[in-house]
Amino acid sequence: MNGAQHILEAFHRHSISTVFGYPGGCIMPLYDALVDDVCVEHVLCRHEQGCALAADGYARASGKLGVCIATSGPGATNLITGVANAHRDSIPMLVITGQVPSGLIGTDAFQETDVLGMTLGIVKHSYLIDDADSLPSIMEEAIELAQSGRPGPVWIDIPKDLLLSDVTDAPFPQTQNHSIETPDMNDALAMLRGARKPLLYSGGGISLAHAEDSFRAFAESAALPAVVTLKGIGNHGKHSAHNLGMLGLHGSRAANIAVDECDLLLVIGARLDDRATGRLDGFAPNARLIHIDADTAEFNKLRDADLAIRGDLNAILTSMADALQATPLAIGEWQKQCRTWHTAGGFQAADNEEPLAPITGPSFIRQLSRIAPDDTVIACDVGQHQMWVAQHYDFDHPRHHLTSGGLGTMGFGLPAAIGAQFADRNSTVINVAGDGSFMMNAQELATIRRYNLPVKLIVMDNQCLGMVRQQQELFYNNRESQINLDDNPDFVTMARAFDIPALHIERTDQIRRGIETILAYNGPMLLHVALSREENVWPIVKPGASNREMMDETQKTTLKRKETAA
Amino acid sequence: MSPTPSLPPKSFHLNCYMDPEPAALERLCQVIRIRGFRVLAMSAEQAEGAWSLSMTVAGIRPIEMLMSQIGKLTSVTQVNCSDSAPEAKQSA
Repeated sequence: MNGAQHILEAFHRHSISTVFGYPGGCIMPLYDALVDDVCVEHVLCRHEQGCALAADGYARASGKLGVCIATSGPGATNLITGVANAHRDSIPMLVITGQVPSGLIGTDAFQETDVLGMTLGIVKHSYLIDDADSLPSIMEEAIELAQSGRPGPVWIDIPKDLLLSDVTDAPFPQTQNHSIETPDMNDALAMLRGARKPLLYSGGGISLAHAEDSFRAFAESAALPAVVTLKGIGNHGKHSAHNLGMLGLHGSRAANIAVDECDLLLVIGARLDDRATGRLDGFAPNARLIHIDADTAEFNKLRDADLAIRGDLNAILTSMADALQATPLAIGEWQKQCRTWHTAGGFQAADNEEPLAPITGPSFIRQLSRIAPDDTVIACDVGQHQMWVAQHYDFDHPRHHLTSGGLGTMGFGLPAAIGAQFADRNSTVINVAGDGSFMMNAQELATIRRYNLPVKLIVMDNQCLGMVRQQQELFYNNRESQINLDDNPDFVTMARAFDIPALHIERTDQIRRGIETILAYNGPMLLHVALSREENVWPIVKPGASNREMMDETQKTTLKRKETAA
Repeated sequence: MSPTPSLPPKSFHLNCYMDPEPAALERLCQVIRIRGFRVLAMSAEQAEGAWSLSMTVAGIRPIEMLMSQIGKLTSVTQVNCSDSAPEAKQSA
């Protein structure tokens, strides 16, 4: 077997059945080997960024390894945003690129770029293959590394000549099982029992550790009031009595108040990201902190932990659930207080009773949440619509909410939805996009058509870069700068050009019918939703402020009145 | 532990051992830079199939944060901080 065939052999050994890629000169030997392969489905996207983001969406939705492939030079550089996106959100991904032949490296050859050098900061690890015989062991190591500990993208750059070289037969290296001892949880339990106002704070690390079930069992037995990060949405399911929702920049008032008031913060699978914490010296000012995570480098990075525990989350959560089930916490008053805050300060959006009224973002997302099946996967883009989804869509599982959390990549949603649909061809997958984000990877409509994927596309169109416009309005004296998109194409016509049916809605009384129509359609369909240009996401924390200083629409109106009076 | 910009940078002496893979040194330097430290001195040699590095770095953030990030690099087999050197000059 040559190097290319060995790559496919590794895919077979690890049951990798779907890969996303785009061919080109230096990766052609691998594409030639694919011709004879019946086990691996190669999904041809229309841009390498689409390949990487589709692989990311596949990994998020399935919990498996996402794989993307491209050629050297521009193929590799086009992957970079998607790989950085996976890196920031710790998504397991294997990236394979062709490189110019070994003898031409460093000669400025056609389509040569220093991929290894330019991607050092966006990968968990990377390899430049310099010996074909090392390929089998490096494939094994890379696949294991991408998925172990804190997952992340691993990049293998392979010169074309080594893809064609015969590889000396050698026994496959055995991957080592790294078992981590379950840590002693007695100190954590003692701290929990000693607290009067403990709060559970969970993030994306729960699903990354495949610990969704044990987390939910723990959360139910502990009955702790709880907040979630953007990536932790869905951790508690739809029916938790204790979940106060997302905290942070656009978090619920209830969640931010609870963090402000708690005396113990139990952080599990989260990294205390600045969008969640706001100004650090005002974050959980009265709380001791227990930090449980797979990555020790996250401990004490931004906030000192009183107790830091690294270990297997499933084992830790099970052990804590057992202990708390035997002797529950006595925090009835605190639970009651948090429920009161939730009632008054949860995410609220009244349904507009006026049928001819324009559609608002929150009311549209609330209706979508009520109508779509419980196991629907929503792949968001980045912007106001992303926050409305986070605030108002009721997710039953974290893998149902695909969102670009760390990097904030506009254009993520459409290819991620493609990846999620390949992860489960029978699931309902919806890309909720803004008009700005949608145009960033709109070429992937052709991929949806090619594979006849029944992805539903919702474009929430406010004819501008809404999140930027909102910040310019609130924090830059309403000086709008380069946010106008009122020359958008006609998205309905555009979708039809890709042979995807589409419809347009603009009034409140059209929401239900619009959503039901696209969900009922047997194939891909686009729903174009016209929104007001002036709508903002509320609440919001001013940059540099602490979360307790969050603003809502009332405060904005008050500010305007003061300005007018002055 | 958040960085405190008002504090002067402190310098630290690190010893690090790495597998001699392509880009090993670049990878290390990239982590030192992005995590807020500067290299003041560095010597590196390959011996017994591994890179052995000795370096002085300066920064205002806790050295433990940098060490934990360096320790995460797959090619790093060992990193330790042998001393906490006197404070570095601002211009160093």
